[in-house]
This record gives sequence, C-alpha cells and structure tokens, in this order.
Amino acid sequence: MTSTALTTDRSPGSTTSARTGRRPGLGTALSWELRKLRAQARTRYTLLGCLIAPALIVVVLNSQQRPPKDTLYGRHLHDSGYAVPLLVLGFAAQWVFPLLTALVAGDIFASEDSYGTWKTVLTRSVSRAQLFWAKTAAAALFAVSVLVVFATSTIVASLLVVGRQPLTGLTGQLIPSGTALPLVIASWATALAPLLGFTALAVLLSVRTRNPAIGVVGPVVIGLVMQLVGSLGGLDLVRHLLLTTSFESWHGLFTAHRFYDLLTEGLVVSAVWTLLALGLAYASLRRRDITGG
Amino acid sequence: MNEILAVNAVDVTKRYGRLTAVDGISMAVEQGEVYGVLGPNGAGKTTFLRMLFGLIRPDAGTLEVFGRTWQSHGTHALDGVAGFIESPKFYPYLTGRANLEGLAGLDGGGARGRIDNVLDVVDLVGRDRDKVGGYSFGMRQRLGVAAALLRDPRLLVLDEPANGLDPAGIRDMRALVKRLAASGLTVLLSSHDMGEVEEICDNVTIMRTGSVVYHGTIATLREQAPEPAHRLRTSDDPGALALAVGRLGLVVATHDGALAVRGAQAHVDAYVATLVHHGIVPRSLTLEEAPLESLFFMLTESSPETLPNSLDHDPDLTGARP
Repeated sequence: MTSTALTTDRSPGSTTSARTGRRPGLGTALSWELRKLRAQARTRYTLLGCLIAPALIVVVLNSQQRPPKDTLYGRHLHDSGYAVPLLVLGFAAQWVFPLLTALVAGDIFASEDSYGTWKTVLTRSVSRAQLFWAKTAAAALFAVSVLVVFATSTIVASLLVVGRQPLTGLTGQLIPSGTALPLVIASWATALAPLLGFTALAVLLSVRTRNPAIGVVGPVVIGLVMQLVGSLGGLDLVRHLLLTTSFESWHGLFTAHRFYDLLTEGLVVSAVWTLLALGLAYASLRRRDITGG
Repeated sequence: MNEILAVNAVDVTKRYGRLTAVDGISMAVEQGEVYGVLGPNGAGKTTFLRMLFGLIRPDAGTLEVFGRTWQSHGTHALDGVAGFIESPKFYPYLTGRANLEGLAGLDGGGARGRIDNVLDVVDLVGRDRDKVGGYSFGMRQRLGVAAALLRDPRLLVLDEPANGLDPAGIRDMRALVKRLAASGLTVLLSSHDMGEVEEICDNVTIMRTGSVVYHGTIATLREQAPEPAHRLRTSDDPGALALAVGRLGLVVATHDGALAVRGAQAHVDAYVATLVHHGIVPRSLTLEEAPLESLFFMLTESSPETLPNSLDHDPDLTGARP
C-alpha cells in the first residue's frame, strides 16, 4: 500500500457531510438503486425481452390457421389488430406479469442478504426507511417500465401485422378503429394496479424470506393459486378479492354500455393488497436484526 | 483528552433466545485511542460491533457513540463513525469505483470528492474500474477500508481486518491501520489475534463467551503475562533436565518428546550456555508461545480459578474504566 497520507481534516472539531452535513434524501437512495438495476444484465435482458417477445408472439399468432377460439378475443385474432393485444393481455396476466415484476421486486431486498451488503449500506448515513422506500420505488418503476414496453411492443406489432380493422366488442357491437385504440391502451393501463400488487407481494417475500429464488418464484405461484381459486365455483366473494381478478377489470370497457364497477373494484382490491404487503414488509425490515453477511 | 468518549457502552446485553451473545458488557473508548477488542470466535465481539453500528438492537444497557445513541439520534448516531463488520461486502457486478460512488451518495454526496484519495491510500488505483467480483479477498478488504475512509471518520471500526489475508496482506493491513491511527483517528479494532492487537493497540478488552474477562492497557496485560515457553531438543534430554534442577527463574519439564522450558529470555540463554558447557548439544530451540498469547489463552480458555491472582481479583482489570 502506498504511504500517501489522507488529506482530509481530522481535527476533533472538523465537520464533513458524512459527519454532520446534509443527509442523503430518498432521491439519492433511489438513484443508487436504479444504478444498480441498470448494471445488472438480468434487468436489461428482461426489458429487451419485453420489447422483442411480444412482437414475435404477434407474428406467430397471426400465422396460426386455427385461432384459439376458447380464449377471450381468440376468435377475432385475424379480424382486427386491436383483438391481438387483448388476447395477449389475458395471457400475460396469468403468470407473465407476476414473473416479470418479481424478477426485480423479488430480488431487490433478498439480494442484499445474499451479497451480505445490508451492513455495507446500513452503516452509511441512510436510514432503513429510506432504503426500503427507495428499493420499493425502484421495483415499482421497473414494473411500470415492463408494462409500458410490453404493451407498446404488443400493440404496435399487432397493428402493423394484422391491421387497424374495427374491433368486435364483448357484446357483439362494432367498435371503430379510432375508439378501439384508446380502449386497448386503457385496458393495458388497468393491468398496472394488480401488477403493482404483485410487485408488493414480491417485495414482501423478498424481505421476509431473504431468498431471491422464493422472492421471484413465489408471486408466480401465488398468482396461479389465485387463478385456481378464482375458477372454483361457489367462491364468488373470494374471487372478487383476488389480485388476479383485477387483471380482468378492463372487460367493462368493451361492452355496448360501458361499466366501470370492475375498474373501481380492481383498483381498490389492488390497493389493499399493495398496502398490506408493503406495510408488512416495512415493519419486518425495520424490526429485524442484521446478523448475516 | 476530549471529555466525550468515542464509545461508551454500559451493561450492554444481547440475547438470541436462550443464548446470551453479549452479557452486560461495559467499555469506554477515548477519542484518539487505538483500542482492541480481543476474543476467540464466538466471544461476542462482532455482535457488540453490530450493536454499535445499529444493525442489531441491544436487549439491555446503553451504547453511546460520541455521546449519541441509536434510540435518540437514529442514523445521526453514526456521524463520524465508519468501518466494517467481518469481511466487507460489495456489489460484485459493479466496479470498485462505482461501489464507492454509490456509498458516497448514501453519505450525502460530499464524500465523492475523496474517492481518488482513499483509493490511493489503500493502493487500489488502477484496479478501481474492475468489477469487484474479480477482486481478491485482500483487495476487498482494502476496498472496505477505502469505503470506511470515504466518510472521513473520527472513529474507525475494523472487525478482524487481517482475517483471511496472506502474510503480505496482513503486513500491509497492519501498516495501514497504524498509519491511520497515527493520523489521529480513534480506531476500534476487533481481532482474535493477540499479536495483532499487541502490535497496534494501546488498550484492550478481552472477551470470552459474551463477557469481559480483561480490560486495561496492553502494558498492564504484558506485566501479567507468564514467561515465554520454549521447546528444547538436545543430544541428552535427561542430562539437560538434571542440569535445570535448582536454577532460579526457570521451569523445565519433559513434554511431548522434548523439554518445555519456561522462563525469562535471559535465564533461558544462560541455561543453554550451561548445557553447551557440559557437552550437551542443543539441537533446536523454538518459541512455543509468546507471553501475551499464553495469557490470552489462559483468559479465554481456562477456568477462572486457574487465572493469575492479579487478574482474577483486580476489579479494574475485568470491568469498564471509571
């Protein structure tokens, strides 16, 4: 090692930012989390996949001679470019969205445990609360990015490959092209609330289990279980309370007489799931002893 | 001397279920001091340091750092404090510099201007743009010191800084710690190596299974230490043993196929000269245990009744300083 002396002032009364100066804000912690996300290949490849995969799916679907008629908008696959994004949306809600958001949210806390870096960041001038909200915000921003890229790629590819024909509504009415586009975009936007709900679930699993694998796979399994429960008869009330049901809240936009009850219900259910999961995760992180690493 | 203690721990206790990891420890570290916390693995050193950094909460007692506590000051309790617990950890997919930049940001950003300086101090200039995943253990240790120095601390806490390093790395790390201590920093060094603490520290607390068994200066500890123990092999061990009978200040016994010789160095030298004078050829003479090392093992492994009386009955040596 060199014999270079530290040039900093070490007199007892001296002050520096790390000693007594300005404290880092939430924005600083968030930008650090985003920088770490950008540096990880997984994040970049996931977003790249969200850009390329939907376009490929649209091309493959369009080449099918026998469309999936038992799926919502499957029978209209070749009739309108607006039908394809709705078909893909229904498919993605089953397990793709929970998986995509969990790739970051399920790992963002647990990776600090696996790398042993909690002690590295928590011995700086940033609080646990700041780190929690910075990580949660980073995970939420990633979820939004995934949804935007996925939706844009799907809609653009569908319109380019299939065309801008009018769309048949769920009650058989014909929706003109000019009206169908904003409705399709709105449909994808409604997926944001339950997507954030799954993000919060992944955050909770990540904090509680300290295991990145469980944090990533857990939300997918929970989503599939919810769908299974939702498909059972006689559980109508429970079905309304499931996070996966909120992914279907766009259905009311495509009836002859639009209704928004499903949208409202989806937002409320998603918000409750999100707040509950984040509240538990926050309390858990605040209370826990950092003994590992 | 500054009146505010760098570290003031009073009856600090931490339990995990039925296990008491730290049992009523009291410790006072003055500003500008180089202080050692010594003990075997599992003694509670790291648990104590984690409490100092607020990573875990004590179940009882108070722990002040520069007069501040976690309960009243939150993260401000760490103002002026830096260091690492066990081996320092970083994000392997980021470069060393990127790690430091991020940590500087978490300190408020002002530390960013010191990155080149601290990289120079720990001799990582030229490797700072490599990903940490490719660093050797020693380089990560040095990056840990650099990350700590970024905060321009008044108290530097290092937990086993030489652990896992090769001999050259140990030499470099000790030299670095000495240099930092010479610059006026208060250094709190945890170690299980008596030699390391003896070489670097002024005062020491020795811990055993969560409790303090010695607290005081290295000089006082040295006075309590037993004579050094040597292992002697000769051409005629029974004859050598016979010549040792009646020699003042020297205890010689057969042990494990050789002679165990315990006494002051001058007495040992005179004894060896006597052997040669009587035609007994010394074939090897090796130092088995340094005096302080012997005392350390006695303090941390022996039952209390086998301790030297001076340690066992002097409350000043086993409690916190007033």
